[in-house]
Amino acid sequence: MRLNLPRACRPQSLRSLASPASARRTYAFQAPGGAVFKVFNSRAKWHQKERAAANPELSRQADYLKEEVAMRVCERLLDIKRHFPRVLDLGANSCNIARALTRENPDPDPATPTSPPLASKITSLIAADSSAALLHRDAALPLTSPLNLTRQVLPDDESLPFAPSSFDMVLSSMSLHWINDLPGVLAQINSVLKPDSPFIGAMLGGDTLFELRTSLQLAEQERRGGISPHVSPLADVRDVGGLLGKAGFQMLTVDVEDIVVDYPDTFALMQDLQAMGEGNAVLGREMGAIGRDVLLANEGIYRALHGNEDGTLPATFRIIHMIGWKEGGNQPKPLKRGSGEVNLKDILEAK
Amino acid sequence: MQPKARPIQRFAQAVSKCTTEAAVYGQCVFADYNSVHKDKCAKEFMKLKNCYLV
Repeated sequence: MRLNLPRACRPQSLRSLASPASARRTYAFQAPGGAVFKVFNSRAKWHQKERAAANPELSRQADYLKEEVAMRVCERLLDIKRHFPRVLDLGANSCNIARALTRENPDPDPATPTSPPLASKITSLIAADSSAALLHRDAALPLTSPLNLTRQVLPDDESLPFAPSSFDMVLSSMSLHWINDLPGVLAQINSVLKPDSPFIGAMLGGDTLFELRTSLQLAEQERRGGISPHVSPLADVRDVGGLLGKAGFQMLTVDVEDIVVDYPDTFALMQDLQAMGEGNAVLGREMGAIGRDVLLANEGIYRALHGNEDGTLPATFRIIHMIGWKEGGNQPKPLKRGSGEVNLKDILEAK
Repeated sequence: MQPKARPIQRFAQAVSKCTTEAAVYGQCVFADYNSVHKDKCAKEFMKLKNCYLV
């Protein structure tokens, strides 16, 4: 059946009535007051970090992964030709980002044999973390080049006590994977950023530690006839783009990198994870240490399932890198749908 | 003075002496890892456990 509507009721004319202010809709990704899905025990995580920092020597030894990731995060700054007066490092751990920023010669390009440390692009850096002991672990050690660094202890990891539009950039390395309410925290990051400012972050995700996850599952299944989570559930690459978009970020870049570390045995791997403060903090886990039988079984299974030929055991860390820009200024925007005038098929086929 | 070894380190030390038994047990689980059930490789595990307890 076809309705013969008068002209004024047709959708085209309705659209022109809408004022431009209401034309932009935001995505309601969480109902206000809705329950946040809790996965991690943030109190246990805080204890693990404090405990790891209580042994500075061991903690520094196990910092190789965080140092590497912080360095890779900071290398992305080379592409942004801008000066940042006020920068936030969210979830700073032991200020790994500050150390990476003050590194000599950060530019690997052979055309520029000596490049100034990235810290010269930054006036002041605020390193924020909930664990005071880990944050101040290396407070007594000098940085290799000058950087105005302020350490700020957060009451908890999931609420940012900063004024809106107060930072020129937010960095985050290796801590977002312990956040329960990732959409909420990303939205808060977006709100503390000034318009047209970047957020550059990296966290563990996807198939991180799949070797340990699978072999512990098999060991528990065989020894005890059931399994309990020992490796966190992690965000996948394809989720991150959506999360950033929902939080209001523009011009997203998401990419993954696998870092594979070889360990002599499973105990060395688990000891290093503990020293990193990256132990298990899943809420639904079985409390207490893993039983010796399971550890013993795990050692054998890990080696049979994943071991390298030279007798070492690989552990994969999948790092998800993300860059998003807060909307604002004369940022380049995607053109409207259907506004393209050149058929891509013609260009690709002509080649 | 060397700090006292954590129990887990002594455990790791003991386990590292039983590579053959660990490999036999690992292969037993690995051989059919889609249908692992409790005590599937109990015999191999007891050998491994005896080795590390000695």
